[in-house]
Amino acid sequence: MKMNLKNLVVPGALVSEKAYRGEGVYVEDGKTYSAVMGMVDSERLIPLKGQYFPKRGDYIIGVVKEEGFYGWMVDLNSPFEGKISARDTREKFKIGDVVSSKVFSVDEIGEALLSEPRRFWDGEVLEIEPVKVPRVIGKNASMISLIKQHAQSEIFVGQNGRLYLKGGNTALAVIAILKICREAHVSGLTDRMTAFLQHGGKE
Amino acid sequence: MTVVLKEEDLIKNGKRYDGRGFEDLREIKIKAGVFKQARGSAFVEWGKNKVFAAVYGPHEVFPKHLTNNYKALINARYIMTPFSGLEDHGRSGPNRRSIEISKVVKHVFENVVLTNLFPKTMIDVHMEVVQSDGGTRIASLTAASVALADAGIPMRDLVAGVSVGKVAGELVLDLDKYEDNLGSSDIPMVFAPRNGEILLYQMDGLLSKEELERAFDMGWKASKKIRELQEKALKEKYQAVFEEIESSPNDEKTGE
Repeated sequence: MKMNLKNLVVPGALVSEKAYRGEGVYVEDGKTYSAVMGMVDSERLIPLKGQYFPKRGDYIIGVVKEEGFYGWMVDLNSPFEGKISARDTREKFKIGDVVSSKVFSVDEIGEALLSEPRRFWDGEVLEIEPVKVPRVIGKNASMISLIKQHAQSEIFVGQNGRLYLKGGNTALAVIAILKICREAHVSGLTDRMTAFLQHGGKE
Repeated sequence: MTVVLKEEDLIKNGKRYDGRGFEDLREIKIKAGVFKQARGSAFVEWGKNKVFAAVYGPHEVFPKHLTNNYKALINARYIMTPFSGLEDHGRSGPNRRSIEISKVVKHVFENVVLTNLFPKTMIDVHMEVVQSDGGTRIASLTAASVALADAGIPMRDLVAGVSVGKVAGELVLDLDKYEDNLGSSDIPMVFAPRNGEILLYQMDGLLSKEELERAFDMGWKASKKIRELQEKALKEKYQAVFEEIESSPNDEKTGE
């Protein structure tokens, strides 16, 4: 992917002469325009800003924020909430618990029903912009395995822009991930990150 | 300091009293991302106007009974600080005028933000006028638009606007406080510059049909200029990172 400053667009820029549905774009008169800031690459928009929309099958990291007779409401780092049904699990959660879960279904108002909830007992949680998650993971998970290899930590990436880190050199992993988020729009990211991690997190 | 000006004093020898031509804007500086806590923010310096804007959300609706199951609500709040004006403003807090401006700003953004993507939520847009010198609703809208884009809220276009008015029989662009108070007519207008949609249009005083058409042309041209400034402000952060990286590999080579 060629990253160039010329490709950087703000809301209202023409992305493609053809209509297509995607993240951060809208269609008007058969043409596609950007709705958020992003990079245009071969008539497709890669958003630089945006929210997480729950999708079926996504693995997410949530924070329990409400308890009811039905189960628990979970904050997803998103405009929408997740729900864990008490019938689906034997575990009991408390407000403030960090859980990983799979999105089982999403209803028409964006609310996600979560399945397979699992509580994290220790470790750290890092919040990043949800649109940067694909860059943190990299092609075929190349970027995240690079970080795991150098930091020797266990890292779990939630699609909603929350990362769980445990063990090893988490400080290095955090610095590396924040660097990816900051520099994701400039080409040659993998090479830079490799050099960065080989120098032990120093420029 | 008391300056007693009359409408005729505002235009002399084809120039305005502050030295601008009829179609000149004041100096405009825009900065995006000035607050850390807010999802998106902006600061606009428009002549002597200084406006901060911050965007929070989309989040849960409060009060809950306002919830719309089909789209997000925009909660706009325009407010002037008590020390913002040239005259004594007395107390801060919402008044008749600020409630009106909050309402028109809300309607502007309801028309550009893709609210249908976020049912049952609310987007807060706060605009704080720290210093005012005429045309603050336009300056606030400019700031709010940049803040919304900085927050990554999907919208059809950045909005840009300007005020056009009639002072001493001449149509002038971007009125300041004296021109606004003493002039005979004033129209704040806001466009979506991509397709020329009119999002805000309020007229004080009277203009003939021909004058109105000319006023629209002037406003349209100026709002496109303002959009360019907004775009530049939003790209600044990414540009800085880009340039930093572009320049660093050479340093490494010389270092090794």
